[in-house]
Amino acid sequence: MGANSIPTDATLDLDEQISQLMQCKPLSEQQVRALCEKAKEILMDESNVQPVKSPVTICGDIHGQFHDLAELFRIGGMCPDTNYLFMGDYVDRGYYSVETVTLLVGLKVRYPQRITILRGNHESRQITQVYGFYDECLRKYGNANVWKIFTDLFDYFPLTALVESEIFCLHGGLSPSIETLDNIRNFDRVQEVPHEGPMCDLLWSDPDDRCGWGISPRGAGYTFGQDISEQFNHSNSLKLIARAHQLVMDGFNWAHEQKVVTIFSAPNYCYRCGNMASILEVDDCRNHTFIQFEPAPRRGEPDVTRRTPDYFL
Amino acid sequence: MAMVDEPLYPIALLIDELKNDDIQLRLNSIRRLSTIARALGEERTRKELIPFLSENSDDDDEVLLAMAEELGVFIPFVGGIEHAHVIIPPLESLCTVEETSVREKVVDLLCKICSQMKESDHVDSFVPLVKAYSQLCQEDMPMVRRAAASNLGKFATTLEPAFLNVEIMTMFNGLTKDDQDSVRLLAAEGCAALEKLLEPQDCVARILHVTVNFARELSTDSSQHVRSALASVIMGMAPILGKTLSIVINILKSSIQDSTIEHLLPIFLSLLKDEFPDVRLNIISKLDQVNQFIGIDLLSQSLLPAIVELAEDRHWRVMLAVIEYVPMLASQLGIGFFDDKLVALCMQWMQDKVYSIRKAATNNLKRLAEEFGVGHGQQSALPTQDDGSTCKCAISLMAPVMGSEITCSKFLPVVVEAAKDRVPNIKFNVAKLMQTLIPIVDQSVVDKIIRQCLVDLSEDPDVDVRYFANQALRSIDYAAVAQS
Repeated sequence: MGANSIPTDATLDLDEQISQLMQCKPLSEQQVRALCEKAKEILMDESNVQPVKSPVTICGDIHGQFHDLAELFRIGGMCPDTNYLFMGDYVDRGYYSVETVTLLVGLKVRYPQRITILRGNHESRQITQVYGFYDECLRKYGNANVWKIFTDLFDYFPLTALVESEIFCLHGGLSPSIETLDNIRNFDRVQEVPHEGPMCDLLWSDPDDRCGWGISPRGAGYTFGQDISEQFNHSNSLKLIARAHQLVMDGFNWAHEQKVVTIFSAPNYCYRCGNMASILEVDDCRNHTFIQFEPAPRRGEPDVTRRTPDYFL
Repeated sequence: MAMVDEPLYPIALLIDELKNDDIQLRLNSIRRLSTIARALGEERTRKELIPFLSENSDDDDEVLLAMAEELGVFIPFVGGIEHAHVIIPPLESLCTVEETSVREKVVDLLCKICSQMKESDHVDSFVPLVKAYSQLCQEDMPMVRRAAASNLGKFATTLEPAFLNVEIMTMFNGLTKDDQDSVRLLAAEGCAALEKLLEPQDCVARILHVTVNFARELSTDSSQHVRSALASVIMGMAPILGKTLSIVINILKSSIQDSTIEHLLPIFLSLLKDEFPDVRLNIISKLDQVNQFIGIDLLSQSLLPAIVELAEDRHWRVMLAVIEYVPMLASQLGIGFFDDKLVALCMQWMQDKVYSIRKAATNNLKRLAEEFGVGHGQQSALPTQDDGSTCKCAISLMAPVMGSEITCSKFLPVVVEAAKDRVPNIKFNVAKLMQTLIPIVDQSVVDKIIRQCLVDLSEDPDVDVRYFANQALRSIDYAAVAQS
């Protein structure tokens, strides 16, 4: 019987913090600091290729769209009843990056075995200073301490996960410097996302219709063709690569003759793209089910109507 | 007041300051309007100050907002209520101002002035006011028409009933046919408020005709937002239409209902089938309001097929609304009917891929068991035994309703079996479930079966299974302490 199976004050505090976060209310700086300390201890023990068991629900980009994350839990079930694997990009773009990333880290600390949170290209110091998370922290806390705490924690997030030894999950895609999963397991991930090299590629690359490796229009990572995916899946005995990183209108999109799937979990991305979101449920018999969903009814409005803007009032 | 010495000075000063480049000076002078008016006296305020203000609506929004606020307390300065109508022209020109907060203030003031006039019974003075409002309803600027539409109900409450039948209904009629969907939308939203004001004595046939007609037109409106707004208010209209008819036509209660239904049912049905989920959702979540006006026959013949169709709606919130409506439906239609038509649907919901649907469906099962008794719950819960976690959730909800005997004979074996599952989530839900069963079953069952099962789970390799098993074990100890 493990020591942590006895409910402690810490567990009860954490349950309380999680229910506060579920109402989209951020924690204090002090609470964030304590939470991230615990998260760091848990995450540093995880592998660069973190093994995950089924059943598990795999999710793509969230990007601070807190209310849509809440909708995701209404659709997929709440943690711990449902196990989750998030493939990065929790922050930037949306209005609630702070609440979103704090909730996911809170769930990770409370239920380390029930949720896996990978690193996306936006979990980085450089990117968050441009795309909103830094500014949001300044706005909500009056200083950059919380931004510093979280971006320091991001360095510990695992880069990839492996579901039942057959679904390889990561934010971006493959790298010309990586042939086997062991290659990934062997490097030191605890650092800012570099501008180039294997760690950068895993978080930045995209699948492409053209064969072989290509130069990415993003300026980081590569594009990789079906031949590359087939080769990688074959040499690592994989059935599927599940990744996020790209907006897809249906919320999921097959590529490379079902060797690669893109999952995107931010509906109506940036509040204007009009896309569906989706999650992928892998059940305990390893069957796959995609569930699509639309944006949650907007906050502060009755949850049954979508009103036209009321210009007058 | 000490202003008697300077009878000409104030208005000159005001004009001067209102032309100043410094906005703060202009604001200051506007905020002194009431002082100036007092100094000028009632007649000069009416003849000089008010016309000046009417022409002076081309300023910063902040200044205009302050002016509108000042005008709100102006009635005593123009000579009391019988002269209140002179305030309307400056308000009218403020109505065309771009800034929304100014226009909002003005419509507020119109309503306020109107209610004061009503109190003092100067019915004649209503005429220019109603005319002003009617002009607002036909303004070129859609923004102003929107304001007029959204405040029409409020405005109408301040008027004498005599105006309602003709003037207000004409305005309303016009607004529901507006080119702009947003104007029609606001008119649709306001219609329930308007309905409540209508007195049945006069022109009933006409009012009924207008409202039902407009409802029919709006229900096929080209904008889904308008249809959605209508769907959310139309239920409120059913009882009112019923009441109106009852007094005037003075016929039997049953035929009142028929008349209401005859007018509204086709509209319900077409909204229930609307292509936009929001419209369907609004109408379905308000259906309870109409239940009492629809007889069982009509309910089962006309409405039910449409509802059953929605039970498989692509949009999960529509489905959820249907699920939440089912227990009420079942209690009205009776258990026999429920078994025939809806039990299959309930089972289907419990296996839906959306978590919230499964959860609502299990909750439903509990409510149905409460409504129809233990036997029914037993029959319908058991087919879901294969269904993993949903079944556990159902059992935990059902057990208190079912009582100890059924819980032990039917539920417990399922739960104990599930404790051996491969999946940790199932196992810790078993632990949670057992915790809820402890107060319901006999102590002997706790000692013989539940405790052992939980002890096994408390040695599970998974940390969460151990956690919830220990929680449950502790609650056995607490229960024992409490009993001793």
